[in-house]
Amino acid sequence: MSRTTTAFTIGIKEQARNYVLVALLVVLPVSFITLAFAVTQDVEMPVRTLVDGETVTVMRGMPEVHGVIMTPITSALIAGLAGLFLMREAKDTDGRLAVAGYRARQVITARFGVLAAITLIVTGVSVGVMLVDFQPEHLWWFVAAMLVVSVTYGLIGMLVGAVFDRLAGMWLMLILPMLDIGLFQDPLFIQSEPEWWMKLLPGYWPVRVMVDTGLTTDVDTTLSLVWATGYLLLVAVLTIGVYYRITQEK
Amino acid sequence: MPTVEAIPIELGRLLGAIFGVAIIAGLMGLAQMISARAADRRLVQTGYPPRTLLATRLAALGGVTVVVAAVNYGVLWLTISPGAPVLTFVFLVLAGLVYAFLGALVGALLPRLFEGSLVVVFLAMMDAFLSGDSPLAADVPEFVEYFPLYHPKELLQEAMFQGTYTTGDLGFVAGYLLVLLVLVTAVFGVTMRTSGGWSA
Repeated sequence: MSRTTTAFTIGIKEQARNYVLVALLVVLPVSFITLAFAVTQDVEMPVRTLVDGETVTVMRGMPEVHGVIMTPITSALIAGLAGLFLMREAKDTDGRLAVAGYRARQVITARFGVLAAITLIVTGVSVGVMLVDFQPEHLWWFVAAMLVVSVTYGLIGMLVGAVFDRLAGMWLMLILPMLDIGLFQDPLFIQSEPEWWMKLLPGYWPVRVMVDTGLTTDVDTTLSLVWATGYLLLVAVLTIGVYYRITQEK
Repeated sequence: MPTVEAIPIELGRLLGAIFGVAIIAGLMGLAQMISARAADRRLVQTGYPPRTLLATRLAALGGVTVVVAAVNYGVLWLTISPGAPVLTFVFLVLAGLVYAFLGALVGALLPRLFEGSLVVVFLAMMDAFLSGDSPLAADVPEFVEYFPLYHPKELLQEAMFQGTYTTGDLGFVAGYLLVLLVLVTAVFGVTMRTSGGWSA
């Protein structure tokens, strides 16, 4: 077994023993997503989205719109906390792996592999729970945007973990996705052109894709998915740099 | 299917204020109990009466809750002018006190701030969401009436938009606070027990 595989396997076992993370994975999707579909008033409301390249207002059921927003919030929240826990553990242990002869790229591959695995599970569970109540118009586009936003928030969780301790980081990662996706990107609340600073938030491009591919029959947000992926790559480069730096300090 | 043009913004602001007060007061109550636990135990061992100790902790919590409510009231007041300003502020304080006592109860039960924070944050989130009576949570079961923020929200909403209040709601909140106080006192007493009973 290679060193990377060993570090990856141990990382997965470590996360599986983190009962807070496991509890969140079990409780949050049902309490957030299923509840959103169950209690939202069954009425139609206007939603701004792209249709044939033009931003137009279409009428959609409020439960569906609410569900489309609660799914990425759930996933981003859990992935963000997972990233935070990962970075806190990395700060304590990964410097010692370097002393034991591990190369930086082996540790980085293992740690980011763990985050990718957790994000895949979280996204799978969130989308799975959503599918019980709602079928997006273009499932795989929707899933792609979900993966991008979840990985982005996982990496942001790692960055937060590099700066703040576990408790402060947790408070921050509980609030950040709520404000970004649940308020500033939510078509239920933002019914006109978003402010420029809202477009800089991690949720902007992926949520555009999710609203479009979840609620309309044509895919008009290919470019938005490209921008979302670009944003993700930028955050990934930043996180790798920060990770490399803090593990080297040990 | 019926339609709505938008989520009622003033109701959203009111819910934001009540959620803001609840979550901060709840976390303060939690931190108050957990961070001071070791010191409190030593004070009890030296003969300090636990009930007096708890009374000072809760009084400090009450003071902080009034400040938190004042800040949230100030922010709310920038966008909405309440029908009954004093009542609105008092009901915001009551909502904060309910969560401060709830946070203190969670803090007396759970060993660490980390897990306690998760419980308080998610409790406040779900409570504010389900008790909110907004179109986003309209089809809720009747037992939501027993959630901690339901009656404070009813009081606040009435004071804010009509300038009145319902005695039944106020009685319910007072009862809720009393029950929480009894529970916090009982749990605090158990956690402070040093050698089989109250030291004073």
